Amino acid sequence: MKNDLWVEKYRPTLIKDVIGNEEAKILFVEWLGNKRRTKKAVLLYGPPGVGKTTLVNAAANEYNFRIIEMNASDTRSEKAVTRIANPATSFTGLDKFSSEIKGNILFMDEIDGIAGNEDRGGVNAIIKIIENTRAPIIMAANDVEIEKLRPLKKVCTLIRFQPTRIPLIIMALKSICEQEHVKYEFVALEKIAVNSQGDVRSAINDLQGLSEEGKTLTEQDTLALSLRNKDVSMYDTLKEYFAVKNIADAANLLNYSTVEYDDLLMAIGDNMPKRYTDTVKLAEAYDFLSQADVFRGRIGIEHWHLLKYFYNNLAQAASVDPESYKPFEFISPPIRVITLFWTKSKRTLLTSICMKIGVQCHVSKYEAKMIFVPYLRLMLQQRKKANALAEWLKLTPEEVTFLTGLKMF
Amino acid sequence: MVLLNQKGFKLPRVEKEKFMLLLRLGLDYNSQQTLYSIKNYNSIHQLRDTLQDILKSEIAFTQTCTICNIDFGCSTCNYTKFCPTKDLPFTCVCNQCLRPKKNLQQQKLF
Repeated sequence: MKNDLWVEKYRPTLIKDVIGNEEAKILFVEWLGNKRRTKKAVLLYGPPGVGKTTLVNAAANEYNFRIIEMNASDTRSEKAVTRIANPATSFTGLDKFSSEIKGNILFMDEIDGIAGNEDRGGVNAIIKIIENTRAPIIMAANDVEIEKLRPLKKVCTLIRFQPTRIPLIIMALKSICEQEHVKYEFVALEKIAVNSQGDVRSAINDLQGLSEEGKTLTEQDTLALSLRNKDVSMYDTLKEYFAVKNIADAANLLNYSTVEYDDLLMAIGDNMPKRYTDTVKLAEAYDFLSQADVFRGRIGIEHWHLLKYFYNNLAQAASVDPESYKPFEFISPPIRVITLFWTKSKRTLLTSICMKIGVQCHVSKYEAKMIFVPYLRLMLQQRKKANALAEWLKLTPEEVTFLTGLKMF
Repeated sequence: MVLLNQKGFKLPRVEKEKFMLLLRLGLDYNSQQTLYSIKNYNSIHQLRDTLQDILKSEIAFTQTCTICNIDFGCSTCNYTKFCPTKDLPFTCVCNQCLRPKKNLQQQKLF
């Protein structure tokens, strides 16, 4: 039963079998069937697991197109795109006349993944190919709001896919269960569908993972999924972290949190005095926190096998005295992050001043900041020399005011 | 709350700019039947906001069941709390088709 992936086994081969997004399907089929289409490429976009790739494969199957695919695992630089896509979209294969194949479709999946040095020039190459293509070009992406795709959006017909609705996912799961002879409680399917957040692929994978031959799939079986896919924010992590009843709960929560380790450590440190009012308990909690900090330092960027010790110490810090918990107002994000945010404009201004000093006095920014700025501040406070000095350093009035009022840096 | 039928609905007369905006957001206008319908769903959230502004009331679209093809409202659904496209005009499955009443006794154990 578990040899084949159900996602592949039950992948629809006909357009009508692709669940959900009926409106997007109609637009796509209209576009594909229209030989006088104004835009030669279509960009399907929407969250993962809603049927973008499946629809393209089903349409190709139904309308007898041959798919030439480039996905995120291929290098999509200008050279690579031109090498693969140009022949696929400019020439007609001889088999078009001898078989039922109508022609090629160039399908570029996960187009929003084009990034970095490896894929340099990829987007421009695609635009050039779209201008000259004879074959339909189909692209799929999760996020089209990224800057890099802006020129591409102008030359494409955009079709948006919505997350698949829960009743539709439940129907799909029911159908699979019936075909696989899996007994189930309806509530269990409901839980899987809700947990998938509109992602049919993950729902089917969850169903396959949970179902066992000869055993009924119950609501109890789905409890392990409760935190799956849950993007726990900093605020929610802190809220649940300080309210945990035991180490296991804390460890479980930390495992699913998506908050940066360093930010989390700082935020917990900042909020700890609010959580433990008893100084002895507070000292104990800070002791665990400091050990977590030590492990975070040792992890660096490569020793991730130590992460469990980092989490373990954080979990212990949360459960020093679970009974004493009373709700309190959090400091979130951490004070250091807030301070950096508020002082960003000041730091930018100081850097700009140091650069100007560096240019005139032939010193580095660091030297300018440490050696020149304190004296410059005193000199600018004496009004007689201030104007000439500011003029020589090309400082703006705003920078002069900032320097004279500078207390520390 | 105003319930709009996604297959065709009427709107009060709107200014030219508003009308252009509605067309840009994906509406289609049939001048013979004086009915609006949705042609493109890419900007459906903005379209809903604009329609709410025109009608000065909250709006909801009817849903069409993919199985029995009847129109129904999201208010009858048990999953609205988790649905990111609540009240928007997309295909769905009605309660009757999702949990057939004939099988109520069998629901606990299929």
